[in-house]
Amino acid sequence: MTEHTHKQFDAEMEAIRSGVLSMGGLVETQLARAIAVLDENEDHAALDQVGAVEQQINQMQMTIDQQCSQVIAKRQPAAIDLRMILTVTKIVNDLERVGDEIKKVAYKATQTRGAAPLTRMRAFDVVRAAQHAQSMLQMALDAFARLDVAAAAEVIGRDEEVDAAFQAILRQLISYMMEDPRTITSALEIVFIAKSIERIGDHAKNIAEAVVQVVKGIDVRHASAEQIRAEVAEE
Amino acid sequence: MSPVFLAGLVAPVAVAALTALVGMAFGAGWALAVLAPGAAGIVIYHLWNLHLLARWTRASSDTAVPEGRGAWRIAFSDLYRRVRLRTAYQRDLAHTIERFTSAAEALPDGMVVLDAANRIRWANAHAQRLMGLDLARDVGQALGNLVRQPEFIRYLDTGDFIDAVVVDSHRDAGATLSIQIVPFGVEEKLLISRDITRLEAVTRMRRDFIANVSHELKTPLTVVSGFLETLQDLDLEPRQRTRFLRLMQEQAKNMQRLVDDLLTLSALESEQNALTETTFAVMPLMLELSAEAKALSGGQHTISLDVGPDGDAGATVVGARDELASAFGNLVSNAIRYTPAGGTITLGWHVGEDGSGRFSVADTGIGISVEHIPRLTERFYRIDRSRSRATGGTGLGLAIVKHVLLRHQAELDVASDPGAGSTFSVVLPAARVRRVAAANATAATVAPTSS
Repeated sequence: MTEHTHKQFDAEMEAIRSGVLSMGGLVETQLARAIAVLDENEDHAALDQVGAVEQQINQMQMTIDQQCSQVIAKRQPAAIDLRMILTVTKIVNDLERVGDEIKKVAYKATQTRGAAPLTRMRAFDVVRAAQHAQSMLQMALDAFARLDVAAAAEVIGRDEEVDAAFQAILRQLISYMMEDPRTITSALEIVFIAKSIERIGDHAKNIAEAVVQVVKGIDVRHASAEQIRAEVAEE
Repeated sequence: MSPVFLAGLVAPVAVAALTALVGMAFGAGWALAVLAPGAAGIVIYHLWNLHLLARWTRASSDTAVPEGRGAWRIAFSDLYRRVRLRTAYQRDLAHTIERFTSAAEALPDGMVVLDAANRIRWANAHAQRLMGLDLARDVGQALGNLVRQPEFIRYLDTGDFIDAVVVDSHRDAGATLSIQIVPFGVEEKLLISRDITRLEAVTRMRRDFIANVSHELKTPLTVVSGFLETLQDLDLEPRQRTRFLRLMQEQAKNMQRLVDDLLTLSALESEQNALTETTFAVMPLMLELSAEAKALSGGQHTISLDVGPDGDAGATVVGARDELASAFGNLVSNAIRYTPAGGTITLGWHVGEDGSGRFSVADTGIGISVEHIPRLTERFYRIDRSRSRATGGTGLGLAIVKHVLLRHQAELDVASDPGAGSTFSVVLPAARVRRVAAANATAATVAPTSS
């Protein structure tokens, strides 16, 4: 390849990478908005926005996927470039799923608005879990921007915390439901919200794993957090 | 001809002359014997100095220029002068750059220098903190990859930098940034980011406040105008008329109270309204408050006084008596309104070890959940709207208390146990509290009274 095509190729790769990150930014903003709905800081107008942006996120996923297949067809990338492109398709897939989960959280959150104060108190824990997932997603995207495997490994480790938070919320809600069957409807809504948040944490973890894969060239999807840390520490 | 050339000529000319002389005197053989070492000496001299020069150019930049002899001494000293000038110039330049960098670093706003492709070239510490950048590894990274807010990316992409863009920070939940880009130099851009969280909060508060005031005034007004219509249109029995008029009067009183509270608040807030401080005794105020409480309660609650030993009862406070009395009174009336009949309300006054005074109102009422406590002093903040209005609150009482306390450098301390009661305490700084000597105080001590 001549220098010219190299340059163009680099520009295309950079455009794809930036595309992924701006899609990530959209998802992050969306998540912040959903948390505000959950935290009762925002009203129903925010909900309409959540729906509209969700469409935009889906559109971005398709655009980036198309860019990726074009680069593969036109340039036949190899080694790290190929890994990067394969990873990008995975990451945008995860981001799109996060978008779906956020939409669910926002809609369910408005449904629990009129719930009894008892279950609303638990929303406090849910908001905390959501904020945790939010910071994981942010760290994962930062790790992708910087190709920083150490940060990626940290995100992978933190997923357990979101899982634990989900279990804790579930246990609490079960005891409420047993005490007072009238809380069951709203408690179930909160279970769905918490589950979606837990899924967002999982997707953030997937993104972090993809970062490790693109940098190190190893598949860490089914490795434990300790194994990944050990892998990452090796230079 | 240059001095170096002339100086360099001395040795060859001397050797040539000596060779010629020896040749004429002793013959060609001897001449050769002089010429050969002479020429070799000159070559070695030059080579040695050349070696010094080469060694100097390879050495680190702060190594001194070598000293030579003859022609080389002149050349080296010229070189030395030039190096010295250059070093001084560079030092000046480095100093200037450093000054500019530290100036940019000291700016209260975040600064980022971007290249033509919006990649990060430099950022000051503020920008790094505000936008979550790490200059050590983010130089060359596209800024949009790290500051990913859609509004910001759109702003970067459109290239229309006339206005600033306002984005919510992803790094710091609840923070709001104002970002402005200024193009400079050849295709470079300077990005200025500012934390406008407080400004935004003030704007939002003002908006909410106006909405709240309008709402609070609208509710009683609707009632009043509704009754007026009924009174005009229908021919009512005298008894019903009286009832409607009484309800209208109640609503009018509510509005009156709200307007009074608003005026009090604005008077407290205005800068011109200086604090008129006097020194007053605490005990009479406590007795007044307790009498007021009994009147408000109408015999439904047990009101008791709890005043600390000796000096506490005789203590005096420096401050605006009216304002403090209204603030304390507010707390007392809150306690009565939120405590069911049969409850106990305890008014306390204690002077602490550190000399600070603590006025407290403890009730056995409904209590407040933890998450509401930080927001209690917000205007119109209500935990339970229906209840607050039913008991005749304007939603401004604690806001007024907060303002009065601010003017007295005092603090409001709220402890509560939902279902078991709350304690609101005002902590007055030691500088405002005088403890009167124990001898006088004993006389002033009043035994706790109860209704």
